[in-house]
Amino acid sequence: MQYAFYFDHQRCVKCHACEIACKTWNEIDVGPRWREVVKLESGTFPNVKAMNVSMACMHCGDAPCRTACPVSAISKSPQNGIVTVDPNKCIGCGFCAWACPFSAPQISSTVGKMEKCNFCQTPGKERPLDMPRACEEICPTGAIISGPISELATINREKAAGRLGSVGMQGLPALMLDAQSRFGTAT
Amino acid sequence: MTARTEPLGSRLATIKGAKLVKSFCYTCPWQCPTEVFVRDGRVVYTKGNPESPNNIGSRCSKGMASWWITRDPDRLHYPMLRTNPKGQPGKFKRISWDEAFSFIAERLARIRDRWGPEAVVFTCHHDPNTSFYRHLLGDLYGSPNMYTHTSGCEQDRRSACLTVLGHVFPMHDFANSRYVILWGMNMLGANQALWESRALIEAKKKGCKLVVVDPNFTETAQKADEWIPIQPGSDGAMALAMCKVIIDENLADQEFIAAHAEGFDGFRDHLRANGYTPEWAEPITGIKAGTIARLAREFASTKPAMSAIFKGSGYYTNGADAGRACYILDVICGQVDKPGNLNLKDWAPIGAPVIIPDDAKGKATRPPLHVAMGYSLAPDLPNSRLPDAVLDGKPYPVKAVFVQATNPVMSDPNRDRVLQMFRGLELGVALELFMSETALECDIVLPETSFYEHAEIRQGMWLGPEAILCQPCVPPVGEAKPSYEIAKGIAEKMGWGKYFPYQKWEDWAELMVKGLPISLAELKEKGFWAGEVGYNRVGKGVGTPSGRLEIRSKAYADAGFNPYPVYSPTAVSPDKQFPLRLTHSKLSMHCNIVTQNNPLLMEVCGENWVEINSSDARRYGIQDGSYVHLESPKDRIRIKAKVVEGLVPGCVSVRHGHGFGHWAMGSVARGKGAHSNNLMDIHTNPITGANCYNECKVRVIPA
Repeated sequence: MQYAFYFDHQRCVKCHACEIACKTWNEIDVGPRWREVVKLESGTFPNVKAMNVSMACMHCGDAPCRTACPVSAISKSPQNGIVTVDPNKCIGCGFCAWACPFSAPQISSTVGKMEKCNFCQTPGKERPLDMPRACEEICPTGAIISGPISELATINREKAAGRLGSVGMQGLPALMLDAQSRFGTAT
Repeated sequence: MTARTEPLGSRLATIKGAKLVKSFCYTCPWQCPTEVFVRDGRVVYTKGNPESPNNIGSRCSKGMASWWITRDPDRLHYPMLRTNPKGQPGKFKRISWDEAFSFIAERLARIRDRWGPEAVVFTCHHDPNTSFYRHLLGDLYGSPNMYTHTSGCEQDRRSACLTVLGHVFPMHDFANSRYVILWGMNMLGANQALWESRALIEAKKKGCKLVVVDPNFTETAQKADEWIPIQPGSDGAMALAMCKVIIDENLADQEFIAAHAEGFDGFRDHLRANGYTPEWAEPITGIKAGTIARLAREFASTKPAMSAIFKGSGYYTNGADAGRACYILDVICGQVDKPGNLNLKDWAPIGAPVIIPDDAKGKATRPPLHVAMGYSLAPDLPNSRLPDAVLDGKPYPVKAVFVQATNPVMSDPNRDRVLQMFRGLELGVALELFMSETALECDIVLPETSFYEHAEIRQGMWLGPEAILCQPCVPPVGEAKPSYEIAKGIAEKMGWGKYFPYQKWEDWAELMVKGLPISLAELKEKGFWAGEVGYNRVGKGVGTPSGRLEIRSKAYADAGFNPYPVYSPTAVSPDKQFPLRLTHSKLSMHCNIVTQNNPLLMEVCGENWVEINSSDARRYGIQDGSYVHLESPKDRIRIKAKVVEGLVPGCVSVRHGHGFGHWAMGSVARGKGAHSNNLMDIHTNPITGANCYNECKVRVIPA
């Protein structure tokens, strides 16, 4: 099974609560940001558009960070698809950060190792997978949903179908995939 | 996604090895009910109370990061007494609580004998726990000057709302709205009542149209179907023109008006006599007449609808009437207190924590300051005029100022004048968590507990009546004390100890909850009590002088103002030398002057900036991300510039200019970003006494 995040940019108001919940639950120091909300703006006054995206590790099917790691510190769980790093093997070289299209891997300046979203599976504070993740639980507008990707795909399909009915094919897929190329540069 | 039986909070608490305490967050005044995870006397995690309708289990970044306040090494630990003369930033020594209480009691007695109880002013952020200080300084001591901070906040909105709708703080029933127009209100960004944010997003998903009128492309404007980039300070002109279209085209709800509103015919004549047409409004607002007329027709013909304002329509000398005009749109369309409208929320029956018998009450011989100053309609102290009382004895002398959880040196316009004011006091008392910029100017600084360390009962900011409880989760930092112990300590020294008989917080809390349908024990278990949501209460009478919705204000007429809202130009206009208007906007991850020492929030946003439209940036040679000097006729600051498209040309917008550039508070906050309030001169709204922060012209120069 593959677990993943579903993200609805129409709901996100860029309040950053997900970032702080992630940080507090997983007890991350100031510095590494496992999750970060970015705002993408386009257009010229007064025709301006903006979109917020809450970004974290996507737990990719074929994770480029894992392929890039020279010491095989990164693994992908065959049970749930979650991509994690073994801090005992990690040498903090940062290859994974180069390889990742989302800048998910963060190198901690205090420990000198890579860290990133582990789907709230930090040893000793693991959230069972039937629960919301910390970022999901805290979101005031319900913009983040975690779950098996098959279930998330259903949400997205229903949403896309709704759009087809109302606005034709111009609707934007909400599943967060390469948002930057679609919406312009991050600010 | 799977059905969960055991409550999430207790499952999470087990994982964290923590105990769950039901409480609420008071980082900002929307005060979300929370579940606090406590392990070994420390707060290790917090989440929203999932049963609470306020936040449905969620939280914002400020609240989520607020546990830091319990561990912040820069918190005040002891009562501190000033050791050096006024006129320079204070040096302090540690004293005992007993010495602190005696010092304050002696000074208070001396001031009352020489100047009368009116010479003492209390200001705070909103907080029912201020009731302890109010009973002490207001009831017993006899000062009529028990105020909060509203003139630096939403005084114009509050005043307009009380005048037209007779309610101090209506809630927004977005869930049932089909058309929402928000004026200068960034509720998805800065003002986070989380249930309102979620309801607005959900309503939009169901097809509600959202129109945001704001010079700034805010987080809320970003979600709008239409952003109306209005000229700063002209909301009143647009709202009056919309009223005229609605009335001229017979779109007003005559039945509702006849039943519930005062002064419709006079208002129609007033609009005609003044020629408040969309064509008249176009050059003032920068919005096409056709757009104004179309929005008016849409608003009047789509129901349920809501026209709501917050701070942005204020902050100008014309802000009071702008607010009235925006609320009158609701009235003439019959859109008040029905589902989907502004909701005239009921309040929970919360009692007073202490009872002061009438014969024990002190007597003032002078009226409250706002009345004596000539602002009888002001809902709170016009605090930009307080320096006149302290420094010039106008309208009468003020000798002592108590500040609780508020920092006027940072938050009021014209910092120089505010500093002078504090230096001119006989007694400045700061009740604070940090050695703030204002505390540095006081004679004595008392460390208060944070909301994780004390108990409070207050009104919940939800649609229905609601009482929420905050209970102590962790021990106080150092010798910090809650307000109920501080007020009791001072009272005992003044011979009033018997009026504060409680030994523990539950003693006074029992008195407060007596009128509620649940017991204190149940409240401790649940964290809140919520009653039925009410609608359609206009017919039962509202809190205006006539008991009806007032398009024509009798109180305005009696005070010598035009009973109908008028549009007048702003007091300050940009000119050749200072070609840009200074405006202000907020940040979603910071609240006022209280969050800048939190490293978690400073990591997300550790510096404020000024936004400038790209066309102005080109004209003045400003690069995105570079530092600039912002100069007004009064002062100059160095601040980072952000070149944006989402801002009306001709103005600049300083983000959170009152909350950055700390020179005190703590090591994380100090020296980060720029404090912009000294750019402003003092302009006070002539009706409401509000601070007019946006009445300021500037020029911008590469630094």
